[in-house]
Amino acid sequence: MKHTILVLTSLLLLAGSAAAQTYCGPRQYDGVHKDEIHGFLAYGNNVVSGRFFTESARYTRHLTDRWSVSGSQQIQFLKQQYSVDVMGTFRIPIRRSNLYLDARFLFNRWNQWNTNEFNFNLSASFEWRYADIRWGWSLIQYHYHGMKQEYSSFSTNLYMEPLVMTLGIGVNIRPRENWWNVGFFIRNYDAYYYENWNINWGLRGYARLTDAMRLYGEFNVRPAGSLSQLATKYETSLKVGLKYVW
Amino acid sequence: MKTRIPLYIFLSLFSLVSCQKLRDKISLQGILMAGTAVEERVQMSYEYYLLYKNDYSYLDATFSEDGGYTFLIGADSHLTTDPGRMDEMLAIGLKDNDLFYAHLGDIADTKPEYYITLDSLLQEAKQRYVKANYIRIDEYKYKRKADQEEEPETFLYDEILFPFYPVVGNHDITHNGWALWSNIFHSSFYEVDVITTGEDGDYCFDRLIFLDSASGTLGKTQIDLIRKRALDGGQNLYRHTFVFSHTNIFRPQFFEFASTFTREETFFLLDQFEKWNVSGVFCGHVHTWDERNYNGVHYITLDTMCEKNNPEPGDYLVRITVDKDGTLFWEPVHMNYTPKKK
Repeated sequence: MKHTILVLTSLLLLAGSAAAQTYCGPRQYDGVHKDEIHGFLAYGNNVVSGRFFTESARYTRHLTDRWSVSGSQQIQFLKQQYSVDVMGTFRIPIRRSNLYLDARFLFNRWNQWNTNEFNFNLSASFEWRYADIRWGWSLIQYHYHGMKQEYSSFSTNLYMEPLVMTLGIGVNIRPRENWWNVGFFIRNYDAYYYENWNINWGLRGYARLTDAMRLYGEFNVRPAGSLSQLATKYETSLKVGLKYVW
Repeated sequence: MKTRIPLYIFLSLFSLVSCQKLRDKISLQGILMAGTAVEERVQMSYEYYLLYKNDYSYLDATFSEDGGYTFLIGADSHLTTDPGRMDEMLAIGLKDNDLFYAHLGDIADTKPEYYITLDSLLQEAKQRYVKANYIRIDEYKYKRKADQEEEPETFLYDEILFPFYPVVGNHDITHNGWALWSNIFHSSFYEVDVITTGEDGDYCFDRLIFLDSASGTLGKTQIDLIRKRALDGGQNLYRHTFVFSHTNIFRPQFFEFASTFTREETFFLLDQFEKWNVSGVFCGHVHTWDERNYNGVHYITLDTMCEKNNPEPGDYLVRITVDKDGTLFWEPVHMNYTPKKK
């Protein structure tokens, strides 16, 4: 909770200063501003862990109008998923659209199940005026902490998943540069995990509050099972965040 | 342009659900919409398990000559009109005197006539099983052949349990298949103890846990029951615990389907197997063989024994041997049946 208050206060304080134009859309880089900070709070319910509450904050530094680096952290209270990540991005503007190439390392500590997870993801995102698509691959390794010593001669506590595809598609009802938008997304990842076959879907939206700040949110439905396995209620969450650029 | 995108999405989904062949395999519900079927299945299964616990009470391996026992596992038979492979599995187990059979789900495609065939096969197998292992002592009663007591335990025919233990698979529950499946097998979430004689001559206990993972999740009810130790009658008593699940945990290879368990549920299960002190986990679903050891637990994912998917003879079954001293072995078991040519 202390983290949450800190992040929100920082965001509100920063909102008062002069800033570059905030474009709308999932990535929305205008090619001008140098720094971004955004944070979100999320509340949800999960079949395995029950209710959970999340805070997250990310800082992005645009080194040039093409290259940027960012880092973030997340704490999921109750579910006990603790995450940090670093990401490097190269942007290729194509007319009014953008192609982003991302390389990301994400570490997750799934505390209540004694497991550490390392995710390496390479992905490409293309952002049109009304739609966006993301495609990439992840290499995911996890290991169980606390394996009994007697198992070490014949067993391992480390598992490397074969390559996992990342795929996301989103559509908006307004063009990307509009001051507000509402859209639909479907994808097999979220801010701090990459899934195999389980598909998330939901509604997203944003509104520009000032030239420098924007409010955004997501309603995310995450069923378990997919395709031939009848999807079953698994997790539902609501996310509300603020983004500030300068 | 603005109105076309939703129209294209709608038309794509409509084409998908309009195709009969695809509809037989998947449904729109299976793509996006979330149901609660697993909760209802588990509630019903657990009620049945509690009410008819004797059906699951124990398997007696104390009569075996060498003090150990074996069991036979098959997966994804997808039985339709040709019951050859299922019949062969039942015959192999009887011939080699396996203590029980475990089937890892997707036992039959969901049409009533397939389940009628399956039920007939199991009834016939039970008759052969009773004939091989029991002696009729009067018009109604039977006793075990191996029971040499002066006053042996006696059973009515209906009281003799044919030791065939299935888990439910995703293809067992599509198109209201649960109604057909549960009519024969009743419960998809249960535990069975195996009583055997240990090395020191005392009784010792192994246990079998059958999970309902047909929906790619255990669901809240099942997870809560596991957390409340609904299946942990005497958790420290057990020498070996074996878990049977339709949905696989590990992905066999890059070009094979991954597990559909979510991140949290995968880690929950791996941790739970540690708490249960599990020796072996047996899964199906992906129709591909996989074997690995993770955190001291042996995981075997079986290839499909379905004659449509694997028409050639092959090693589609697995036999687990538990020696008197508790040592475990596994071996592939060959199936010879080839489908009839149409």
